[in-house]
Amino acid sequence: MGLHAGQVAPVFISSVALWLGLSLLIVVGRAGHDRRRRPGGRTLVAPRRGGRVERRLLRQADSSPRTESGRWRRIRALRALARVNHPACRTLLPAALADGDVEVAGAAVRSLGDVGTTWAVEELVRALQRGVYFRSRVAAQLERLAPAPGPLLVPLLDDVDPAVRFWAATLLAPYPKLGTPALVARAADADANVRAAAVETLAGRRGKRPLAAALRLLQDPEWFVRVHAARAVGRLGTPADVARVVPLLADERWWVRSAAKDALRTLGLGAVEALRETLVAGDAFARNGAAEVLQDVGYVDELLASGRNRALLDQIFAAGGERLRRLALTRAADAPAVPEREVA
Amino acid sequence: MSPERILLTAVVVSVSYLVVVYTAYIVLVVVGAFENRLRRHESAAEDYETIAASRFTIPVSVIAPAFNEEAAIVESVRSLLALDYPEFEVIVVNDGSTDRTIAVLRDAFALEPFELFARSLFPSAEVHGVLRSGVEPRLLVVDKENGGKADGLNAGLNVARSRYVCCVDADTIFEPDALLRAMRLVVEDPARVIGVASFLTVSENALQTMSEPVGSRSIGWRPLIAFQQLDFMRAFFNNRLAWSRLDFMLCAPGAFQIWRKDVLEEVGGYEPRFSCEDIELTYRVHEHMRRQKRDYKIICLPDNIATTEGPDTVRKLVSQRERWQRVIIETVVHYRRLLFNPRYGAVGLVGAPFYLLSEVLAPLFEVLALVTVPAAVLLGVLDWRVFALVVGTLGFLNASLTAAAILASDVQSRTYRLRDLAWLTVLAPLDLVAYRPVMAWARLKGTWRFLRGDKGWHKFERNQRPA
Repeated sequence: MGLHAGQVAPVFISSVALWLGLSLLIVVGRAGHDRRRRPGGRTLVAPRRGGRVERRLLRQADSSPRTESGRWRRIRALRALARVNHPACRTLLPAALADGDVEVAGAAVRSLGDVGTTWAVEELVRALQRGVYFRSRVAAQLERLAPAPGPLLVPLLDDVDPAVRFWAATLLAPYPKLGTPALVARAADADANVRAAAVETLAGRRGKRPLAAALRLLQDPEWFVRVHAARAVGRLGTPADVARVVPLLADERWWVRSAAKDALRTLGLGAVEALRETLVAGDAFARNGAAEVLQDVGYVDELLASGRNRALLDQIFAAGGERLRRLALTRAADAPAVPEREVA
Repeated sequence: MSPERILLTAVVVSVSYLVVVYTAYIVLVVVGAFENRLRRHESAAEDYETIAASRFTIPVSVIAPAFNEEAAIVESVRSLLALDYPEFEVIVVNDGSTDRTIAVLRDAFALEPFELFARSLFPSAEVHGVLRSGVEPRLLVVDKENGGKADGLNAGLNVARSRYVCCVDADTIFEPDALLRAMRLVVEDPARVIGVASFLTVSENALQTMSEPVGSRSIGWRPLIAFQQLDFMRAFFNNRLAWSRLDFMLCAPGAFQIWRKDVLEEVGGYEPRFSCEDIELTYRVHEHMRRQKRDYKIICLPDNIATTEGPDTVRKLVSQRERWQRVIIETVVHYRRLLFNPRYGAVGLVGAPFYLLSEVLAPLFEVLALVTVPAAVLLGVLDWRVFALVVGTLGFLNASLTAAAILASDVQSRTYRLRDLAWLTVLAPLDLVAYRPVMAWARLKGTWRFLRGDKGWHKFERNQRPA
């Protein structure tokens, strides 16, 4: 090979120099970082009013940088000013929200959450309406600032954009005294996502109208609306409503069946009577769903412990299958003996 | 053609291969550095407290298949249950363990059997039963017949209730904010982000390492573990971050991978026919999504989210890596239709060919170089001084790439102590002569076993721990 050591040597030296340089960078960089972190080292503090740091942050936060570094400097400056609730945030953050850059808008949303004052909440509600950033992230900030946003959310239930109506309905969950009639109306919304959100929020309300809306949506054409409706009935309903949920154990969609089981579990022993009839239903899933719920609410273990109603127990085991029977017997065998006094 | 000429040609071919591969690596390091910087900035500007408290943060089912993990399983489950995340469930799948895995779990978490009717969407070996915890409502244990890790993951997927699943190794210990960090981009854009992987470190004793605070962690003085750590750093910071940026993240590691469950339903879940499940699934998901021309993202993040246990002997390491090599070849061969196929975009045109070149064909060129270069020196075709300088250059070039990975990792997470970082940088130039030959041997062995059609699991034995 026509190569000489003299030709390769510079390449070798360059590679050694590169390794040395990078190693030095690692060690020096880390040592500097550790020094800054030590007690008494340089730490981030609130900028002094009128000081050099404040002027720099204000300049950076108000800039329209073209480079990647400049963009992140602007974001850092916005976050830093928001953390100390700087008065300039009032103009800087709305401007950042209106910026076409999604990262800058995102930083503005988070910063408005940090500021948390009335005007910041209003800006966030406007951001939710305009969709300047991922609505889920704007909603998370509004949720964090509860209860301030509550009254501003009710009018959004009538917004023309279904996405806004959806988020308004969802965000109203922690405000049980706000917007119930409007939410009941939204349970009949043309948009299925809005109906689902409305009934999910209504699950946390008391009264006949929320329950009536939830019961009506148990027959909704969209499966995910039925899911939320079933869960809402589980929370709002009484044993009298169990019969309306039980048919969902045989729903064509898995998630609806699963939600129906959740609802019946929530209704607890109140669901037992209606479930007994389902143990002999034509649909195998409905049968073993009923058996599973009876197991989960503790009814099977209770029957085994008391030794009464053997026929019903056999019916449950027939519906739930051999494994359900075996596991119930195992649990019964493992259960600590109940003292005579307690049985009495 | 004279023997000298043949030898010279072989040497030129080997060196040319190295030049091509190293050039590709340098490009990837640069792209990876940009990606790392972007993610670091994003993470610094992120509001993790709000994500951690929000009910809009998407729930996750964490699935941990376990086979003979009695030594580590309880601590691993505790680290999973200690995750700082608003809503999640932990599903441990006991994959027919022959040791006391299920017994130690039962004792630690007061497990009791119950019947759970779930859909069998994903094929798996027979499930003996499901156990729930009397003390921890978020924990579910699936006890099943042995069927391998992929089979265990499928059994876990069948009972998972969340829209996203996080599949993990049962011998891995997680940072409390692991899910929060990994789900950050999913929360932002769940319609597009269907898969997430993240950086994890390796240790001889993961539990001990994780008990030390971030910034004061030790790598230990054992070169074998330190070399594995360097390997992980290179794999993530020099490769996967760049793949992620270039839209061909081809391997979400099995120790921690997040998937959107509906996508796994579409592709049929994990495939037990392969020697290892992670890379194959990633390839399959890419193929599926690209064929359907769907807008999607599989992302690799630079955040250090966990520590996994690395083999503590060369024999165990070779066993582990030869299996990795086997599955890489199995996958690349199985999905050869992707190679250079513009229909699959960056995956077909760049990712798959890069895997073929840098992983599948590597043992071939490594053997060629190992045989022909010393022969060329002995026969006087190549000057020994040139040989020594070329080896030295490669060693320090490799060390520089490694140092770039150490730098990126440290800037990102500041995990290790300064003296440990110095130790890693000192070890870096020795990687070529001390660690790579072991890897070459493992890869050769893996290639040979692939050619023989061996698909065994050969899981490495757990490291010995002081009582």
